Amino acid sequence: MPQDASPGDFESTLKPLWLRAQSGDEAAYRQCLGLLAARLRAYLKRRLAAFPDEVEDLVQETLLALHLQRGTYDPTLPVSAWALAIARHKLVDLWRRRGRRDGLHDPIDDVDEQLLATEPDDGGARRDLATLLQVLPQAQRQAIVLTKLEGLSVAEAAARTGASESAIKVQVHRGLQRLAALVRRDPPS
Amino acid sequence: MKTETLIDLLARDAGPAPRALAARRLSPAALAGLLASAAVAIAVFGAIPASMFATAVPWTKMAYAGALALAAGWLAARLSRPAAPVARPRAATVAVPLAMAAVGAASLWQVPEGARLQALFGQSWTTCSWSVLALSLPALAASLWAVRGLAPTRPGAAGFAAGLLAGSMGAFGYALSCPEGSPAFVAVWYTLGIGLAGLIGAVLGRRLLRW
Repeated sequence: MPQDASPGDFESTLKPLWLRAQSGDEAAYRQCLGLLAARLRAYLKRRLAAFPDEVEDLVQETLLALHLQRGTYDPTLPVSAWALAIARHKLVDLWRRRGRRDGLHDPIDDVDEQLLATEPDDGGARRDLATLLQVLPQAQRQAIVLTKLEGLSVAEAAARTGASESAIKVQVHRGLQRLAALVRRDPPS
Repeated sequence: MKTETLIDLLARDAGPAPRALAARRLSPAALAGLLASAAVAIAVFGAIPASMFATAVPWTKMAYAGALALAAGWLAARLSRPAAPVARPRAATVAVPLAMAAVGAASLWQVPEGARLQALFGQSWTTCSWSVLALSLPALAASLWAVRGLAPTRPGAAGFAAGLLAGSMGAFGYALSCPEGSPAFVAVWYTLGIGLAGLIGAVLGRRLLRW
């Protein structure tokens, strides 16, 4: 499993792929996100032992953030350091929000051993992004559904909707940004 | 939604990542803030007489503001990118005001003892810092907006750096209107105004730069 490999191995597998992904290689990008998801899951599972249900939600929230912020990656840095910094940020943000909402103030490193013993299953996230998509403004939802779910190219989506290609791209990006904000604001439970 | 489905959704037709995103967002923000600061300074306070530009006075102020803007902008850009090292830009951001303080202290040394207080406080010490701060507000809004679109993992620190950048823009504009001639005055009151902008940026950053 990728998360069991040493950090150096993981990085040396990931980095060349990631650089290709950054310059537009879609297959490499998909593979990177898969590798990163496994790594993030391991990282977050260890730190969210008290809330196993939150793990997959936070993995997805972090992946969305990684995607939206891929322009902030600097090739001089290890990809895993960059990704884990974002995951850590999301984790701290979750604790902060939890703390405010539920009055929970467990420090991140304070792990209940009994809860650690029961591994949560990976039954997907509780929060359903497909449902959240329905909340997006129509133009954003349509752009995402056409290009990301139905698999149309940007040109085809532009022809279908009558919008320009750059408008489609902007709507997709804004829609994903909106989705990230929704995911962050709405607790699934 | 399964995580695999999300990955597929994100990757599909994703295209290349935007390049030099931090610089592309921060530079126009700083430039817009600078123009606003200079325009308001000239419109509200009036420009200094053209003859002053023959002296080192306004150039010293602009060099100080410009150097600090570069250092603080560098720091803000690094703080807007997860895991980016900040030691060098942070050192530069500390070094610029220290260098200005050294220049100011050296200039006081050359002033006769009886005139030192006058050199330090000038005519306008009660208003200078506030003017710099007021002129920095458009740049503050612009630079916080720029950082907000990036990924600051330390919102307070990123807000502080954005505030210092904005304060430098305010100081740069104010240099066009400020009649004071002593580097010691600049080292104290300009720095205070820039620092106030930084503090406001830090406070706002903690609220606004969450993502």
